[in-house]
Amino acid sequence: MATPILSIEDLSKSFEGNQIFSSVSFSVDEGELSAIIGPNGAGKTTLFNLITGALVPDKGKIIFQGRNIVGMEPFDIVRLGMARAFQRTNIFPRMTVFENIVIAIITRLKGNLRFLKPWNSSKKIERQAFEILQSVGLADKADQQSGTLAHGNQKRLDIGVALALEPKLLLLDEPVAGMSPDERWETVELIKELWNKMNITMVFIEHDMDIVFGISQKVRVLCYKSLLAQGPPSEISANKQVIEAYLGEEV
Amino acid sequence: MDHMTSSSRTQWITGISVVVVLFVLPVFLNEFGRTGEYWIWVSTEMIIMALFAMSLNLILGFGGMVSFGHAAFFGVGAYTVALLTKKADFPLYLALAVAPITAAIAAAIVGWFCVRLLGLYFAILTLAFGQLLYMIVFQWYTFTGGDDGILGIPRPDIFGPTNFYWFCLVLFLLCFFVMRMIVSSSFGLSIKTTRENLERAKFIGINVKRYQLLNFVIAGAFAGLAGGMLAELNRFAQPDFLHWSESAEPILASLVGGMYSLAGPAIGSTVLIFLKIFLQQIHPSMVELWAIVLGAAILVVVLFAPSGLVGLYQNICKKFQS
Ligand SMILES: Nc1ncnc2c1ncn2[C@@H]1O[C@H](COP(=O)(O)OP(=O)(O)OP(=O)(O)O)[C@@H](O)[C@H]1O
Ligand SMILES: [Mg+2]
Repeated sequence: MATPILSIEDLSKSFEGNQIFSSVSFSVDEGELSAIIGPNGAGKTTLFNLITGALVPDKGKIIFQGRNIVGMEPFDIVRLGMARAFQRTNIFPRMTVFENIVIAIITRLKGNLRFLKPWNSSKKIERQAFEILQSVGLADKADQQSGTLAHGNQKRLDIGVALALEPKLLLLDEPVAGMSPDERWETVELIKELWNKMNITMVFIEHDMDIVFGISQKVRVLCYKSLLAQGPPSEISANKQVIEAYLGEEV
Repeated sequence: MDHMTSSSRTQWITGISVVVVLFVLPVFLNEFGRTGEYWIWVSTEMIIMALFAMSLNLILGFGGMVSFGHAAFFGVGAYTVALLTKKADFPLYLALAVAPITAAIAAAIVGWFCVRLLGLYFAILTLAFGQLLYMIVFQWYTFTGGDDGILGIPRPDIFGPTNFYWFCLVLFLLCFFVMRMIVSSSFGLSIKTTRENLERAKFIGINVKRYQLLNFVIAGAFAGLAGGMLAELNRFAQPDFLHWSESAEPILASLVGGMYSLAGPAIGSTVLIFLKIFLQQIHPSMVELWAIVLGAAILVVVLFAPSGLVGLYQNICKKFQS
């Protein structure tokens, strides 16, 4: 039996009286590659915001590696081994692609408080940064200002920044949103490859059912203010409730 | 890569030439009797104010936060030197070594509150704390001399105008190199990260407020040293050193010189002081026009050279290269 790396227990969140979801419980097994689906506004991003400490739940527990992390600051949660990439690209626009990755590595190594040594003096960090840039396909753009990258590349850089933190759990919020069809599949392949090679647990939010059912081992459906269903893709795509509520004619 | 090294070589050559000129300047000025001595005094003030402007720019340009209370730490440094040398008979060197420490302590207390806020609220709170310190200094007659300030700060015998100029220049260059190291260190990159995207910085594991506070304290320390140097140059300290209008000067200097480069604020500060004195020299009544000239200069910069004089210079260099 795999052990859960993350357990959500009885989680509820509302914004100014507007209940987004209540009593959501599930757990994510170590090493799993799973998806969260749900209609627009179902609260998928909100769920990620709760897990990563950006928001505080009204009720419930979030157990990460055996420890309740509710109320902890995002930067402390990151240090426990959780990283995320964002639905809307979220990078450091006036820094180079290389600098974006390096600062993540420096922070992981707790090297931020070096005042007198140039940040680019470590060959080891430089090598690591290029490895990550290679794995997300941006090595040739290392010296470019990240804000001037094309949208798809910015999203990939966002993932690269998260990878540089060497997380045990990686949360990806619509990693291929806004990409061209070719780019989407390229990126999906890349995600799958990273998962294969890095011994990492990944949870991603995605609207494209081909992608969701194509690569995930487990799918969770957030709908009607609760967790409507969870299970392997074959089970979910056959689930009547899910089809009625959400998948509709698409499947 | 070749291009990079050749441009950094020209940077070094320019830098060294400027330093040589700065060292030789008073020798040349001394040829002009009293006028020369006056310009040595002005140049010393320029060096000190350049340091003050650079210190603010650690917060403004590199940290991306507007502080309207930076003069408070400048003033704390000035009063530290004034009080220690005059009332406690400290030697100047020692007093100047203490000035950044007291200023850093003041900055740590003020910053601890201010970094809790963002943007405009941060700016307003720094203004409020700055004015609070100003009022304390202004009112506390028995300790600070109130609105009279502290006059007659002793001057060591070896410090004639020229020697003191050199002394300030050496201190300035030391600070310049330390700031240069800080800005290009891991800490410097972390600060840039918080400037670029505060939210994302948190999600790579940076405790944003802690780094903003540290940066605020470091900037305060350099401002304190500059304040101490100015007190010694003028041989007095007065509450005006802490006033918010004094906080505006390094902001304007950074705008004019360019806040995304290390030397920009120093250049901006020097240009502004020079313009002001130049007007004064034409005719004393021309100082009345200073606000207009300043306004026009800033308008031109904001409209035509948003990265300041340094940015303008870089653009021109690029044009010539291509
Ligand atoms: N900070 C907030 N304050 C108030 N309301 C919020 C906040 N964040 C999200 N919401 C609301 O909560 C609901 C769920 O938003 P959320 O972004 O989690 O949905 P989502 O499932 O990610 O949708 P999408 O598929 O469009 O990305 C929406 O109605 C949104 O307007
Ligand atoms: Mg969303």
